[in-house]
Amino acid sequence: MNDFLLGSVFLIVTIGLFFASKQIYRLLPNPFTLPIFLTSSLLIILLFIVDIPYQSYMLGGQWIDLFLGPIVVALALPLYRQLDLIKRYARTIFIGIFAGSTVGVVTGLIGAKILGFDQSLIKSVAAKSVTTPVSLSITETAGGNLSFAAVFVMIAGISGAMFGPWIVRICRIEHPVARGLGIGTASHAIGTAKALELGQLEGAVSALSMTISAVIVSFLVPFFLMIF
Amino acid sequence: MPKILKIIMQISVLFIFYYIGKTIQELFSLFIPGSIIGMLLFFGLLTARWIRVEWVEDGIDLLIKDMPIFFVPVTVGVVQYLDFFIGKGSLMIPLIILSTFLVILSGSLITSLLVKKDGHTYE
Repeated sequence: MNDFLLGSVFLIVTIGLFFASKQIYRLLPNPFTLPIFLTSSLLIILLFIVDIPYQSYMLGGQWIDLFLGPIVVALALPLYRQLDLIKRYARTIFIGIFAGSTVGVVTGLIGAKILGFDQSLIKSVAAKSVTTPVSLSITETAGGNLSFAAVFVMIAGISGAMFGPWIVRICRIEHPVARGLGIGTASHAIGTAKALELGQLEGAVSALSMTISAVIVSFLVPFFLMIF
Repeated sequence: MPKILKIIMQISVLFIFYYIGKTIQELFSLFIPGSIIGMLLFFGLLTARWIRVEWVEDGIDLLIKDMPIFFVPVTVGVVQYLDFFIGKGSLMIPLIILSTFLVILSGSLITSLLVKKDGHTYE
């Protein structure tokens, strides 16, 4: 089979699995049936069992990868739509997100250093709190490993979505802006879906926090990598 | 204009801003990713109303709705490092979970203190 044909097959399989996963998630919403988690896991199992090298899979995957940069640009639109909300809480939101983002980058970097991981892994964990496309851009610019970064982002998202509502309850965080901000800054889109279950304002603040924190973290990571 | 053509053109706008951002990054050897520079530029032009939301929203919303599909190939890339995650790499998981908890805690606690101080009430 030639490369183009093989690539097309993998492209179709990927898209098919993704939309099938979406249906499963609709029937059985759970962090582990998230389409990104389910689709990727199924593909990893498939490649592993049939013994297909990742390079062959990427004959199709490379077409999807082309969108990774432009999708970051797309995030400007939802952010623009929330301009009113941002203006209303401007100072609070900015300080809160800045604090949370800094804690995320610094604890990730220090922790990975203490555990003795190499430089490439330290660079890949630095941007784990932000939405995947931005995290990938940051990791690429810093010289980390993109696949690791994608998995680390997913772990941050799923763990924050699972335990975020519980953490804010135990700490008696009552204001919806504070709840949404914490969850969105830590757990991007996966957390935002969960924040929406807490309330409309929680969800909206979580969504804008994930985008603003992505911008802040893209400045913080190169800065802290220079220091550490 | 057929709808599909309109959507392709709207999505092309994202590619244009991405390449502008990337060019700026390379030109000035910045540490900030080109995609973020492109996003900030696009955001600026939306805010200044040089670009109207109606001109671009259909295509962009379509892309954002199923955004996770674009992360699948990169994520599948861990298939090359499965040994790592079974071994020492598994330590990364509790580290990330702990760090995530700390982000939620610090972000929401500080915000909660600030909203109280500013006397923001919510309806």
